[in-house]
Amino acid sequence: MMGWLDQNEFLIGSTLTVFLLAISIQIPLRLGVISFASIGYYAIGGYGTAILMTQHEVSTWTAIVVSTLVAAIVATLLGLIIARLNGLYLAMATVSFSLLLSAIAVNGGSVTGGAVGLYGVIGDVTAWHAAGIALIVILIVSFSERGKIARRFDASREDPQLASAMGINVTMYRRLSFPISGLLGGLAGALAVNLKSAINPESVNFSLIILALTIIIVGGQASWVGALFGSLFFVWLPEILQFVGDWEEVVYGILVVVAAVLIPGGVVGVFNDWRHRREVAKERPSIALKEAAAGETNEVHAQSQAGKDG
Amino acid sequence: MVQDLLNATTLASIYVLFALGMSLVWGTIGILNFAHGAIFMFSAFTAYLVTQQIPLGMPAVIAISMTAGAIIAIAMQYLVFQPIMKRAKNAHAGELQLVIGGIGLGAVPISIAQRVTFSNPFGFSAGTFEVQAYNVGDVIITNVMIIILICGLGLGIGTALWIRRSKKGLALRALGVDPEVSSMMGIDRPRLALATMAYSGALAGLAGALLTYYFSSITPESGDTLLLKAFAIIILGGVGSVFGVILGAFVLAFAEFGVLLYTDGSWVTAVSFGLLFLILLVRPQGILGKKEVRRT
Repeated sequence: MMGWLDQNEFLIGSTLTVFLLAISIQIPLRLGVISFASIGYYAIGGYGTAILMTQHEVSTWTAIVVSTLVAAIVATLLGLIIARLNGLYLAMATVSFSLLLSAIAVNGGSVTGGAVGLYGVIGDVTAWHAAGIALIVILIVSFSERGKIARRFDASREDPQLASAMGINVTMYRRLSFPISGLLGGLAGALAVNLKSAINPESVNFSLIILALTIIIVGGQASWVGALFGSLFFVWLPEILQFVGDWEEVVYGILVVVAAVLIPGGVVGVFNDWRHRREVAKERPSIALKEAAAGETNEVHAQSQAGKDG
Repeated sequence: MVQDLLNATTLASIYVLFALGMSLVWGTIGILNFAHGAIFMFSAFTAYLVTQQIPLGMPAVIAISMTAGAIIAIAMQYLVFQPIMKRAKNAHAGELQLVIGGIGLGAVPISIAQRVTFSNPFGFSAGTFEVQAYNVGDVIITNVMIIILICGLGLGIGTALWIRRSKKGLALRALGVDPEVSSMMGIDRPRLALATMAYSGALAGLAGALLTYYFSSITPESGDTLLLKAFAIIILGGVGSVFGVILGAFVLAFAEFGVLLYTDGSWVTAVSFGLLFLILLVRPQGILGKKEVRRT
């Protein structure tokens, strides 16, 4: 077991960093904000760490923390600047933000290493550190997926006007999603550059946006489980299915299209629907029995219940 | 100087042909087609595969490319976009699914072309068409450039007038304002949507063939770059405005040439992203757009 883990440390590490990146896109998405800026945060985190470590001899974890914070600050500012945009306009503004950063990386001269990028980033980060961080992130994110706060997220996404009428501060939630997304995206980039020991403009361009989206859509938008499932699936698929090889991108494309058309909720959505249906089917007879036993008192009970809720 | 202006105008004409279809589809039937770049590339690629077997002249190559573009676009609309729109709970949820469906769709033809050409550029050198250059004063103009200028400006202005003047154009604009009410007024939405997609695909095919002739070869990835430029063009001019597309295409092409004159080439790609970001901050409805941003 340990031998297998050691052999596949690189893949495990990239699964976890891709997972963090996917979560960073998913959280705004759960609030109805289609933001592709996470790729930009990833670039800031990755390049920031690489520059600090190779050119200024900063220690590994200081570099990671500093560049992650820089990514979060940039994200906050971006959120304030593009606050008035919505929907697809916001999506395009964030796409251009990310690609602008990758253009800066190409043209950054000796600081960013131009088209070659930066390499030789050797710190003391292992896949197990990444696993620990991912676990903490999962714990925090799963809090936002249950109870009151989950319902607020859902309401802000499905019907922002109704949500504000119910007293939910939609603007505040949406604005807050930017620094959170920035922290996660920056962290993903900072860890990835340490695990891969190199970063170049190729690794932070449009194809990374596509990969992250694919993961979320096929896995499921609603929960971190979907992001984790998607990351596992898409990082390991090319390893397991060697024969897919060169046709990898074709398979990805077709999977995304099929998921977008047939299962908008992703694999996790399908599973949740199935569980929900099964539970309903199981409970229906007992509910019917109860209703029959309760008889007329049921109606009174229902009324008082409605009164409490109102 | 005059040569630079002429080159920029030629590039702008290509941009018009490419962005026109995208803008029409977005402004009328509400689909932001992320696979438009893939249609552009793959129709030129289809024409390339045919010319490898049979040496053809320019009209035949363009006809093949345009037909391929229209067929791909119709297939996409019929198999993917229409089902997504039918299944979507509301317009907002549908929007994201359409974007994602388009991104997935776009990845397929691009990776097929990359696989076949091993990511090398491809062109119509096997065809019978010969590029001829003419000297007018100290300006050099080729026959390809003349054809591009005529197609780009002619189709751009023609489409703009058609949308404004004709009855079908009115129907299309009505769809953009309110799909439900316009279908109550007797507009056949699915059919008109298919026709618009086909037209947009054919324009992309035309742009693909002409750009391949102009640069003598294109890469499988060129569609992606052009797609991002088209976003900038459409937003610059204002979504749904055909004259806006022409204006946006010229602004972008001239800005790119300006940057090319004063810096080395690597900043050119940043121009479109910078312009797009700037215009979204200052005037999200675009230069010629209406006051209200409707499609949010």
